[in-house]
Amino acid sequence: MSVSQIDTALLGRMFLAGAKNLEKNKDLINELNVFPVPDGDTGTNMTMTIMSAARDVAGLGDSADMKTLCKAISSGSLRGARGNSGVILSQLLRGFTRRIKEESVLTIPVITEAFAKAVETAYKAVMVPKEGTILTVARGISEKARDLNEDGCMDLEVFLTECLKQGELTLEQTPEMLPVLKQAGVVDSGGKGLVMALAGAIDLFLGKEVDLTISDTPTETPQEEEEPVYANLYCVALSVALEKPFRLKQELDLRAYLESFGERVKVTSTEETLTIHTDTNDPGMVLQKALTYGELYNVSVKNQKVEKVEHEKDEEETFTQKAPAPEPEGPVKPVGFIAVSVGDGLAEIFRSLGVDYVIEGGQTMNPSTEDILNAISKVRAQTVFVLPNNKNIILAANQAAELTTDKTVLVIPTKTIPQGITAAINFVPDNTNDENEQAMMAEIQRVRSGEITYAVRDTMIDDKTIEKGDYMGIGDKGILAVDKDLTETVKGMLAEMIDESSELVSVYYGCDVTEEDANAMADCIRTQFPGVDVELQMGGQPIYYYIMSVE
Amino acid sequence: MKKVAVLTDSNSGITQSEAGSLGVSVLPMPFYINEKEYFEDITLTQEQFYEALKGDADIHTSQPSPEQVMKLWDRMLEDYEEIVYIPMSSGLSGSCQSARMLAEDYEGRVQVVNDQRISVTQRQHCIDAVALAEKGFGAAEIREILEREKYSSSIYIMLDTLYYLRKGGRITPAAAAIGTMLRLKPVLTIQGEKLDAFAKARTSAQGKNMMIQAIRKDMETRFGGISPDRINLEMAYTHDKEAAESYKAEVQAAFPDFDIVLNPLSLSVSCHIGPGALAVACSCKIPELM
Repeated sequence: MSVSQIDTALLGRMFLAGAKNLEKNKDLINELNVFPVPDGDTGTNMTMTIMSAARDVAGLGDSADMKTLCKAISSGSLRGARGNSGVILSQLLRGFTRRIKEESVLTIPVITEAFAKAVETAYKAVMVPKEGTILTVARGISEKARDLNEDGCMDLEVFLTECLKQGELTLEQTPEMLPVLKQAGVVDSGGKGLVMALAGAIDLFLGKEVDLTISDTPTETPQEEEEPVYANLYCVALSVALEKPFRLKQELDLRAYLESFGERVKVTSTEETLTIHTDTNDPGMVLQKALTYGELYNVSVKNQKVEKVEHEKDEEETFTQKAPAPEPEGPVKPVGFIAVSVGDGLAEIFRSLGVDYVIEGGQTMNPSTEDILNAISKVRAQTVFVLPNNKNIILAANQAAELTTDKTVLVIPTKTIPQGITAAINFVPDNTNDENEQAMMAEIQRVRSGEITYAVRDTMIDDKTIEKGDYMGIGDKGILAVDKDLTETVKGMLAEMIDESSELVSVYYGCDVTEEDANAMADCIRTQFPGVDVELQMGGQPIYYYIMSVE
Repeated sequence: MKKVAVLTDSNSGITQSEAGSLGVSVLPMPFYINEKEYFEDITLTQEQFYEALKGDADIHTSQPSPEQVMKLWDRMLEDYEEIVYIPMSSGLSGSCQSARMLAEDYEGRVQVVNDQRISVTQRQHCIDAVALAEKGFGAAEIREILEREKYSSSIYIMLDTLYYLRKGGRITPAAAAIGTMLRLKPVLTIQGEKLDAFAKARTSAQGKNMMIQAIRKDMETRFGGISPDRINLEMAYTHDKEAAESYKAEVQAAFPDFDIVLNPLSLSVSCHIGPGALAVACSCKIPELM
């Protein structure tokens, strides 16, 4: 059978098949991360990006026209995009659909042009395109298509199969183009994801049986979906007239305690009042604990099965929500701030620096473009500065900025948490947006960041041999220290970061480090580097034992 | 009988020994250390003061008493026809307001200037007043000129800590909100009336750089361009002279054409902001003197 064109219904099914195949190979792609950090997530990011579009496409049914299908693919992936590979994938899809949306069927010349448009769009989306990445793989495919079309190829089956082969070939060559890949002994993970998606689509075209059911909910969500069965039957709410003001540490301890036997825990405190919300099977323990802080009032215990319980709307923050959140009431400020961060301590630090909205995410969970858009819609300000605080989130933030029409959104490309903190500190309310942007950009260059985590596999990177389980100190430009001992890793990393002009070492300790150990580490740094001040803060971030900065 | 005398208070940073050579009289500000009254530069030195401050002594400032003020005026009016009195900014102290009331009984012979100046910019206005008097301007004319120029100055101060400002209660809510979690160095500004939060810095290097940028911007956008012909550049510090000298070199490098005046801040200002503060200020030269 020789098919010479693809109609809308077939294209829709091919897209779903591509998405499914990417999803199937997610873990394999995650494994390809160059840095052996525990948050290798290219596969996850790309899957979540394409699944966001796939859900829209699956919802269309078979009767949709090309324009509707293209819109679903394009806007679904743009909004769902997370991580750099996800953003680039969404831009490839956007470029591709731009070319084909006016067509009723796809032929080889149309597909060739659409591939070219896809590549052009994606290259434009990246400030400094790097070769040996998903971009190179896409370009390889596009150039192969152009050659086949010029040679007069009429057989779509041959055309698609050859394009895919070229994609695989270019992917194999990526280690030759990017030394870090070669040293780590892997091919580019984003490129792999693209090839997997294309392979799935072509499999369907070739008649292979593919299960196209797309689940309504994302495969991975930042927060647990609400279940119809109540794991925790009682919804407890109460206030406490505090005998003594609450410190942050106490608040976090209380939250951790409540979370040990409940969920949806909310703890807030002012000077005089503490309020607690939690779902639990043991309301008595909540009351007992609360009594230790002061007198109780406004106590309510509701059985969720029989009483209607209105939960606070924190579910809006999950990215499953389609409609944009309604604008909250309140005066419009000239300038607002959004920061992406993970960990209670870091979130609190950002808030203390005037950040209006902290998007939970970062190292382990890159927020999508839509998550950032939602945050932007919630900040009542004419101009919103966004601090992505991770190099893998900057593109998604830029994409959100472009998709926002009712506010000015300025993304300060902060690659690390310390850079984000420095940017927030250097904001001067009296200055213009331009002046602030310039000052923040200049200051973030002056901060050196370092993060301590552990290796999830053996590898070789920046000429350092790393074994699974080793501690690694990762700086702005690569791995600074590797050791079997945590303290030695910290010392080694800081030795690379500190010079004679350094004044201050800030240490944010993660949720897996005790306060006692953190204090000991800070003392050790003071002894080792007597010329600098050391400031210790509870960061509460997962995976990274310590995040440090030298200024 | 000489015509116009210039009087200021010790907030100008003009010391008793410097006063003579500048042709200015200086009214010492009283303050209380553990309930005992002292007069700046008269009964207490900078060293003794900082020792008390660091030792967490209970330090209060106060306005000069009406008696003290009028006694000095009366004595000066024996030698001079008129007095131009330049007290610290009315936004920071009630002493200007009190002096105005007292001056009502002097039939215009004492002109109290409400020019919103403090420290190095107040000092500069004293020097300007002497020069204007030498040019033949009367006390009332000098007051008008100085008050006309009240907003043509700008001060930035980086504090080593917010501790003393909080302790003294002399802090706007905006400034108090700075750095509740991280240890930050607040950069404050005085534009006319009040001391307010300008920005915050993580390190002193950041704060110093920020102040240089802010002064540069003020010169360019508010004061008609970076020109030593039109603008005075001034610096001040509390306690740490070495740090101030090293910062002066940085400021000088940023503004190579200026002669920079560096002075310690007066003790009555220092007791609110604590040791280790650095300040940069600029003020416009007075057209009548150019």
